[in-house]
Amino acid sequence: MKSKKTALAQGFIRCHDCGCLSKRADKNRLCPLCGGQLHPRLPNSFQRTAALLLSAFCLYIPANTFPIMTVTSLGVGEPHTIIGGIIALVNSGMVPIALLVLVASILVPLLKLLGISLLLLNVHYRWQAHAKKWTVMYRIIAFVGRWSMLDIFMISILVSLVDMGGVAQVIAGPAATAFAAVVVLTMFAAKSFDPRLIWDNQR
Amino acid sequence: MNKITLTACPECDLLLNPTQTVVGDKAHCPRCGYLLQRPSKQSIERTFALSIAGLILMFPANLMPLIGIKMLGNAKDGTLWSGVLALFEEHMWGVAVLVFLSSILFPLLNIILSLLISAHLYFNKPNRHLAHWMRWLQHIDEWAMLEVYMLGIIVACVKLSSTSELKFGFGLYAFVALLIVTGMLTSSLDKVLFWRQIGRLKP
Ligand SMILES: [Zn+2]
Ligand SMILES: [Zn+2]
Repeated sequence: MKSKKTALAQGFIRCHDCGCLSKRADKNRLCPLCGGQLHPRLPNSFQRTAALLLSAFCLYIPANTFPIMTVTSLGVGEPHTIIGGIIALVNSGMVPIALLVLVASILVPLLKLLGISLLLLNVHYRWQAHAKKWTVMYRIIAFVGRWSMLDIFMISILVSLVDMGGVAQVIAGPAATAFAAVVVLTMFAAKSFDPRLIWDNQR
Repeated sequence: MNKITLTACPECDLLLNPTQTVVGDKAHCPRCGYLLQRPSKQSIERTFALSIAGLILMFPANLMPLIGIKMLGNAKDGTLWSGVLALFEEHMWGVAVLVFLSSILFPLLNIILSLLISAHLYFNKPNRHLAHWMRWLQHIDEWAMLEVYMLGIIVACVKLSSTSELKFGFGLYAFVALLIVTGMLTSSLDKVLFWRQIGRLKP
């Protein structure tokens, strides 16, 4: 049975924005309700997701190796990488907050990169098993991505508050831009991936 | 044109018969488990009221100091804007723009669009822009990150607590209230119902 149950297989296109169904044969390609472009699936979903993912992978390296901020106190500057910041938190005895930052800025981006790669492999090699579990994984990836912005927001707060010239100052480092780009790119990658591709391959 | 009464799941494209979901119930896709609809009591009225409350709270949350620090005799206050401005001054334009969009502009647009749409639906006023506003609202939704910003404030406070004296400003209370209101706004806005009403008002 070649998934007869999908709306597309029965000649309907679902609008991405408002969710109303249109006949596939409709000549005009605009949704009658909201006026959005009608596409059976997100256009070029696989290629777009792959391109965004590859860029995110490349930027993940500078994001973790360059300093994300430099803390100057009494004239002595000390650059911190993301991991360095977490170690500093552990050393000053703030383990729960260190864990929070570890999850938000190391684990979530890494799991997102790997998870979206696996989703692309799934679609490319037409894996048959556990379609529902894959969809749930996609849902988690799409939901969790925004929480990686934690580090960026924290830096913006520190930079504005700790600004006392030579006494104490926090300056954002180049990794902040790279890390922000990773977060945005993975969010776009998750957005451009169409989970219906998983179900289209089910026999 | 005869109207199509069927619907389809956005994540697996399963063709579904529309079901009447009552308040307090959840409608899930039988195949992939996607949450299709969770109707809320008086969705339009609530969204209208909450977006007015949110718009009012936007002013103190943006303009009044969130936290202030005192470090070695120097005192400094931080608002939502000062974080963005400090990043601009350090020439971190990309990060500054991202923080501005996700903590100031998109939350504001989110509330304004919710207010516009719910006001038109509440007073039964047709407007040719309704569908556009609703589409923008759905695209912006994911990029408004007030709750992540709140977590950023908490982590920054913990980091600063060992070296400086912290004091919470009135802006922070307004910000927390705004956070709660936008959270309630998101859960009270029933997208399925809103699209149905927009379709009904369409001339
Ligand atoms: Zn539409
Ligand atoms: Zn489904």
